[in-house]
Amino acid sequence: MAEERIATTKVAGTWAWFVQRLSAVLLVLLLGIHLYVAHFMDLDSHTGDEALITFEDVSIRLDQLVYIVVDYGMLAMVLLHGLNGFRTVLFDFDMFAKRKKTVDVGLWALGIATLLWGIVILFPFITGG
Amino acid sequence: MKIGSLKWLFGRNSEFWPTNMKTGMWAWVGHRITGLVLVAYVFLHLSFLSTASVGSGDFNSLMEVTSQPLFVAMDFLLVIVVIYHAMNGARVVMFDLGLGIRHQKLVFWICMAIAAVLIVGGIWAIWDLIFVPSGGA
Repeated sequence: MAEERIATTKVAGTWAWFVQRLSAVLLVLLLGIHLYVAHFMDLDSHTGDEALITFEDVSIRLDQLVYIVVDYGMLAMVLLHGLNGFRTVLFDFDMFAKRKKTVDVGLWALGIATLLWGIVILFPFITGG
Repeated sequence: MKIGSLKWLFGRNSEFWPTNMKTGMWAWVGHRITGLVLVAYVFLHLSFLSTASVGSGDFNSLMEVTSQPLFVAMDFLLVIVVIYHAMNGARVVMFDLGLGIRHQKLVFWICMAIAAVLIVGGIWAIWDLIFVPSGGA
């Protein structure tokens, strides 16, 4: 008799399901703000009306704490949602479902490392290069 | 599996197009593919921003490259991928809340109709930004 597959929902857990829905709703909101600020808001810089985004444009935007919070918050939500979704994909394969702990530790490490990397990436824009 | 005919791959009830694949299943496949694409995009997005750590000039010249037609075409693709994922995701959240499950196929097509409108609107919104000639930047 063939071995029964491991049910993904049982491996992934209720918290993962809930976090995925919550972050999804937040991301729709954050993405709206992010796109508006990046592409449509009047930045009051000499290049503001053009499609081309320059270092200066991003710097002007990130002079305001609120946009730093939005960008960092969005990155945290994106990583939570993206890697949590990827985790669900992995758990559909028995070879990963059997190694839940390894997958979880690996994805948390990747997520935290990427978040820290993302935080550092914006430093030149925030300090103005 | 015959080599002469591609029916095993594309025919009815084939490997690629099994008859037991219904609307919801295809929606799920689409959600997966777009989800994986978006995860890859986030890392690409971060790596592009990281050029600013080398120098503001490096970032600016990369931004000039990304306003080229090839990248603009990829932006359109990104709009489609994001909106599909969001609208199908809205459908998933609805069903989790117990809303509309009995009419799940209709709900899917309504979500896709809204997605189509948003995609047209999204492409229209970025069209001007991208194709207006930039004043000597």
